[in-house]
Amino acid sequence: MAFLFRRLAFYLAAFLAAATINFFLPRLMPGDPIQLMFSSAGAELPPESLEALKLTFGFVDGPLWQQYLTYLGSIFTGDLGRSIKYFPLPVTSVLGHALIWTLVLMGTATVISFVLGTWLGVMAAWKRGSRFDVIVSVTSIFATSVPAVVTSLIVLFVFGFTLDWFPNGYAADPSLDPAFSLQYIASVAYHGVLPMVTLCTVLIGGFTVTMRNNMINLLGEDYIVMARAKGLSDRRVMLWYAARNALLPTVSSLAIAIGTILGGSLVTEVVFNYPGLGNVLYQAILARDYPVIQGQLLIMTATMLVANFIVDVSYVLLDPRLKAA
Amino acid sequence: MKTLLRNRKALVGLAIIATIAILAIAAPLLTEYNPATRTGRPHQAPSMDHILGTTRIGQDVFARVLYGARTSLMVGFGAGLLITLVGTVLGIVAGYRGGKTDEVISFFTNMVLVVPNLPLLLVLAAFIGQASPVVIALILGATSWAWGARVTRAETLSVKQKDFVKSAEMMGERQWRIMAFEIFPNVISIVGINFIGSVIFAIITQATLEFLGLGDPRAISWGNMLFAAQKASALSVGAWWEILTPCFALAFLGIGMSLLNFAVDEIANPRLRTGNRLGRWSLLVRNGEGRL
Repeated sequence: MAFLFRRLAFYLAAFLAAATINFFLPRLMPGDPIQLMFSSAGAELPPESLEALKLTFGFVDGPLWQQYLTYLGSIFTGDLGRSIKYFPLPVTSVLGHALIWTLVLMGTATVISFVLGTWLGVMAAWKRGSRFDVIVSVTSIFATSVPAVVTSLIVLFVFGFTLDWFPNGYAADPSLDPAFSLQYIASVAYHGVLPMVTLCTVLIGGFTVTMRNNMINLLGEDYIVMARAKGLSDRRVMLWYAARNALLPTVSSLAIAIGTILGGSLVTEVVFNYPGLGNVLYQAILARDYPVIQGQLLIMTATMLVANFIVDVSYVLLDPRLKAA
Repeated sequence: MKTLLRNRKALVGLAIIATIAILAIAAPLLTEYNPATRTGRPHQAPSMDHILGTTRIGQDVFARVLYGARTSLMVGFGAGLLITLVGTVLGIVAGYRGGKTDEVISFFTNMVLVVPNLPLLLVLAAFIGQASPVVIALILGATSWAWGARVTRAETLSVKQKDFVKSAEMMGERQWRIMAFEIFPNVISIVGINFIGSVIFAIITQATLEFLGLGDPRAISWGNMLFAAQKASALSVGAWWEILTPCFALAFLGIGMSLLNFAVDEIANPRLRTGNRLGRWSLLVRNGEGRL
């Protein structure tokens, strides 16, 4: 338990760091940052939005520490200011709606590629040097080394434009009303195929290679030889002696990978015009909507910290040594 | 180096990177077009005049991809060097000095590791505004060193226990000398892996930032080519050459770098090797059944 509490305190500190960066960055801009942000957003903006922009970044009258405390106060009460582009809308509602789509896409892709990738890694390590291993290893290398932008553009070109098997954009048929109906869910699933395929292609290789390398390192251990000497079946040795222990480092690498997965999903969403965080962010960047850009850092950091905490909990469950500590 | 050249993956990887580097250097000899200016009618399909067609504003795609390689390689290697330098120094100092120094550095390292990298870079680049390739390299160096610092620290901790370090300490060598001449040469394989990984990361991230519209649009680079093509809806209007060319260039370079990465990984960790005699032999011994 003490372990989990320490982690929680650490995550709080990390979130504070991200918020602090957000607070000081506009203050490092030359000249009057608010005017600069305001004018670079272009278009005709209502004058009220200038006031809102000031509040978003904590530009209140008073010394710096007071501004900082005001800023932190509003962040920790869940107020991230108002968007410039969609003016009266608060940043949290602009991003919150998009976050759900991103989490659905990212979560499904992560689970699929983690399970499939780990299984492929176990098999490849077990049959090391076989044709299966060579094919799996080489494909994994290729798949992981191609940037997500490139993978998604190629998938879109081949399956979306050339073969025309799947839709080229949106999360569901725009003519359908969002509802908990079979038709709507089917449409969401159909539109999700290409982004999902892209994300899985980008992610799966990493899991395969990590698992394969962990397995190979473990297969030399004495307890594996012992298990074999006892005459246990191949399957039992592979799954319950080797794979079980090889999974530990994979789970902790998953925690670090979540950041990469977020990044990959941002790009994929832009390419497939998927209504998740990535797309909202892309529009925000084009319009220089600073409150939304800085809000996404906080929301994504929070998402990543929660995901890390879930990994920590599962780590405690997987490794009994941590429970005693 | 010799072992590196005997590894097939390393050879193919090096060949790919060398090819791209040569093409980038020889760009003025291979194309007569200026990559920045209008040289033909917009969105022309590949032909004898324009081997890879033209962009929406009539720039030559082939010229742009050749000159763009210069940017990708320079940002990749420049930022990679910076990331590795920061990570290695912090890792060795934290690992060797231990105590309070280690606590402080490790705390910051772990903190940087859990703040998602791309969103942070997006915020930095947005506030800097139209980031040129040099600025992108600098902010990559400033934010992406954490993984390298962590692994170098771990390696330093084990090297620190070795006898030659103890004897250097007995002889009263100064700390920086021990770190630079006793520890550093013995963690060089980790530093190498870190460097190659960082170069891959820098190339991909630069392209991603530019694709998302945060780069300086005047810079000629693969990421900007993708950004321009996406903005011109190149795929919808059928101008596949404008999108696929930088795509394949990036994929090619990425594969080359990754092959090198895995080769170095295998050399540093002999258990991962497959196919050569040692690997087969150890597999035979381990399986104890002679299945191969």
